[in-house]
Amino acid sequence: MSTFNQALIRVLPSGRKLVIGIPFLWLFLFFMLPFFLVMKISFSEAAVSIPPYSQIYSFVDQKLQVLLNLGNYSLLGADELYISAYLGSLKIALLSTLMCLVIGFPMAYAISKARKEAQNVLLLLIMMPTWTAILIRVYAWMGILSNNGLLNAFLMWSGLTSSPIEILNTNTAVYIGVVYAYLPFMVLPLYANLVKHDQSLLEAASDLGSSNFNNFWKITVPLAKNGIIAGCMLVFIPVVGEFVIPELLGGPETLMIGRVLWQEFFNNRDWPVASALAVVMLAILIIPILLFNRSQAKEMEARA
Amino acid sequence: MKRFSFSTLMLVLGLLFIYLPMLILVIYSFNASKLVTVWGGWSLKWYLGLLDNTQLMGSVARSLEIACYTAVAAVALGTLAAFVLTRVTRFKGRTLFGGLVTAPLVMPEVITGLSLLLLFVAMAQMIGWPQERGLMTIWIAHTTFCAAYVAVVVSARLRELDLSIEEAAMDLGARPFKVFFLITIPMIAPSLAAGGMMSFALSLDDLVLASFVSGPGSTTLPMEVFSAVRLGVKPEINAVASLILLAVSLVTFLVWYFSRKAEANRKRAIQEAMEQTASETWQAQPKQPQRTPATA
Amino acid sequence: MKRFGRTLLTLSLLGAMAGGAQADDKVLRVYNWSDYIAPDTLKKFEAETGIHVTYDVFDSNETLEARLLAGKSGYDIVVPSNSFLAKQIKAGVYQPLDKSKLPNWKNLNPVLLKNASASDPDNAHAFPYMWGSIGIGYNPEKVRQTLGTDAPLNSWELLFKPENAEKLKACGISFLDSPTEMLPAALHYLGFPVNSQDKQQIAQAQDVFMKIRPSVAYFHSSKYISDLANGNICVAVGYSGDVLQARARAEEANNGVKIDYSIPKEGAGSFYDMVAIPRDASNVDNAYAFMNFLMRPDIIAEVTNSVGYSNANAAATPLVDEAIRNDPASYPPQEVLATLYAIPDQPITVQRLMTRGWTKVKLGK
Repeated sequence: MSTFNQALIRVLPSGRKLVIGIPFLWLFLFFMLPFFLVMKISFSEAAVSIPPYSQIYSFVDQKLQVLLNLGNYSLLGADELYISAYLGSLKIALLSTLMCLVIGFPMAYAISKARKEAQNVLLLLIMMPTWTAILIRVYAWMGILSNNGLLNAFLMWSGLTSSPIEILNTNTAVYIGVVYAYLPFMVLPLYANLVKHDQSLLEAASDLGSSNFNNFWKITVPLAKNGIIAGCMLVFIPVVGEFVIPELLGGPETLMIGRVLWQEFFNNRDWPVASALAVVMLAILIIPILLFNRSQAKEMEARA
Repeated sequence: MKRFSFSTLMLVLGLLFIYLPMLILVIYSFNASKLVTVWGGWSLKWYLGLLDNTQLMGSVARSLEIACYTAVAAVALGTLAAFVLTRVTRFKGRTLFGGLVTAPLVMPEVITGLSLLLLFVAMAQMIGWPQERGLMTIWIAHTTFCAAYVAVVVSARLRELDLSIEEAAMDLGARPFKVFFLITIPMIAPSLAAGGMMSFALSLDDLVLASFVSGPGSTTLPMEVFSAVRLGVKPEINAVASLILLAVSLVTFLVWYFSRKAEANRKRAIQEAMEQTASETWQAQPKQPQRTPATA
Repeated sequence: MKRFGRTLLTLSLLGAMAGGAQADDKVLRVYNWSDYIAPDTLKKFEAETGIHVTYDVFDSNETLEARLLAGKSGYDIVVPSNSFLAKQIKAGVYQPLDKSKLPNWKNLNPVLLKNASASDPDNAHAFPYMWGSIGIGYNPEKVRQTLGTDAPLNSWELLFKPENAEKLKACGISFLDSPTEMLPAALHYLGFPVNSQDKQQIAQAQDVFMKIRPSVAYFHSSKYISDLANGNICVAVGYSGDVLQARARAEEANNGVKIDYSIPKEGAGSFYDMVAIPRDASNVDNAYAFMNFLMRPDIIAEVTNSVGYSNANAAATPLVDEAIRNDPASYPPQEVLATLYAIPDQPITVQRLMTRGWTKVKLGK
């Protein structure tokens, strides 16, 4: 290597530090700092000012006074609206994730078994609709599911029902919308995992007399474990906080925490309570993820 | 085989499910009447109207630009983060790092958007940058958000990789960066591609983050659509969506065509190489022991 | 990795360039509602003054407010609704107007200015651009069929009396999904002041809605437009301009649905979309020029003709399309104008109470 390269390497931080440093710095600056801001707001009180919350510290007469308002957090616990909304979100997220898994796994499996050129095409086919904004597609669904929309028109024309079924603005429409929007996010990680499965394992099992059905459940699915977990995480977690889809497709009985948060923030102009809600939401969901990461890390170390 | 036909069936049904609303969208973009309930006959007028609508087309261009940059940056950042999570054995703040990487997924978008906005405002006051919120700030917000997705997908793949290949390469003297680029990346290529496509989609789709951190003159497509659909989707929006679909279909077709050609070329090259060596062996005197040539 | 570095470099250069470009004096940044300006207003303005306008749109007051309250929105002209404007003025978002720079102020309608001053004392910070009322849009044929020929079409009793609501349920009723606009209607109906902060009175207003909740199809602030036009619902409480849009659509679709709009005789809410200049605007002189431009009768009349909402400019009335000018829904007679109240803004605690109560109403418990 040239002397310039060698000199450069001496000056720059070691590869390992760089690899840890870059993402850490980015996330610290653009996620951690903003999160501290949110925590700060969650301890303040709503006020009529720019920005619409009070300062929590003041430096007067060489005395630093920090005033932490815990009222926002106690409000969250006191009103059962927040808890029911959160449970509602969890329920919808869980069911949608399961539905995406049931529908998405066979799809990903079929794609991973296809010819090489076909695979790329199929993947693009699955992703393409997501590149037209979700709103447009949700509006298309509103047109289909409404009382004189295409679905009802079809059902009545074919004689299956005599009066329109109320689907739009109910929880059913929300499920359809969420599965529709998040299916690609389940298929993609599953595919990325399935495509790297070693075919020889399945062949060996077949040679030893195992049926296809057995192969699938005893070999393919356990090997795909990581893909399944990744896909479920990418669907479940965002759906809990989802706002746009329940807002457009859901009815008044669709109680989700995303909408409640939006209301707190925009309708009540109560940034502190909304921030407190966000902090609580983050805490609830992040702890299982941290524990999961920890166990995974220990597993990796055990293997090494 | 039974498994195949069931999963192929699900694939077909799934694709139908995904494409039904898109088909309706495309058909309605040719509807001469602007009402959704009335079919006014076939017409291209909405497409022609797009040529004049610089506002809408500008926002489409902006969205696509941001999405491209986001996909690149998010894949880079997310892969680095995934690498750290799965490979670097011990370092201080490891749990914190793990939390930082996945937290953008958990945080509701309204709060991420608001907090970034406040950060940018505070930064503008303290150090003078960013003076104007715009493409740069939206790109930062999207990258942070999408990197979490990429990290989840790539780390899932990295966890189950067989380390012995990488170790063997390093034993043979390759430096870590070389190992990373020549060996690890090809093995996780599908995950990288998946992460890139998801980031592109997420960035194009995002409404909430962009509403918060954009500035004057930097509206994105979802913002434009959301602010215009009070009276029901305007046909121009349908026309734009159809155009995007058309553009991507073209890209898909090209990808399929070129990979078919590449595959055919590869097969031909292998065939030629085999014939070449076969004829050489036939012609050459059997003086030295022949080693079977390695086939690609 | 190399690609990333190069991209970052390119982006920062672009950012620097974009930052440099703003040194140009002849720019104006406007943030307005979507579909709220005539197609050639901006072109005319640019032609006359040479000022280039960056025009962004929003669809809800809340989005605008979040940007304004975070600070440094970057806009020179914004158009909030009056109830939001009131709060924002108290927070110090806007700068007081120098009326000497607005010679066309005299064109504005003094009655409407007075109504708007409830939110903006002395009209110090903004002028009303468009305004509308929040009344009842209905399908007269269907309603008469259901309730009989003497149905109280011009009274809140049509909806707030449980017996009427029950009968209309089959036909379809909807309300706006907005506690700040709907609860005052109930308060007014019960004879209480619209900006009442009394918990009991607000609870009673909530009760009015609770009693008719089983008969309501949905609460939504824009879905009723297409539903009225299609015949899916037959009575909707909505914005005047939007109901007129529904009427126009039904006519266009030629589906036999006729829509009418009435301002209930007890009085209805009115909203004013106000044009104001944020305190940290960078192109203040250009903003004044634009405001003055919008107060010209010919310009604002064209906006009304194209968006369908009425403007607050008295001098512009003769220039507005006859069909709009003679429509009592858009240009109500003096007696009706007098019964209108501006949508009030409430302190945070009351606001929270109202929003929470409204959620209960929507959930039906």
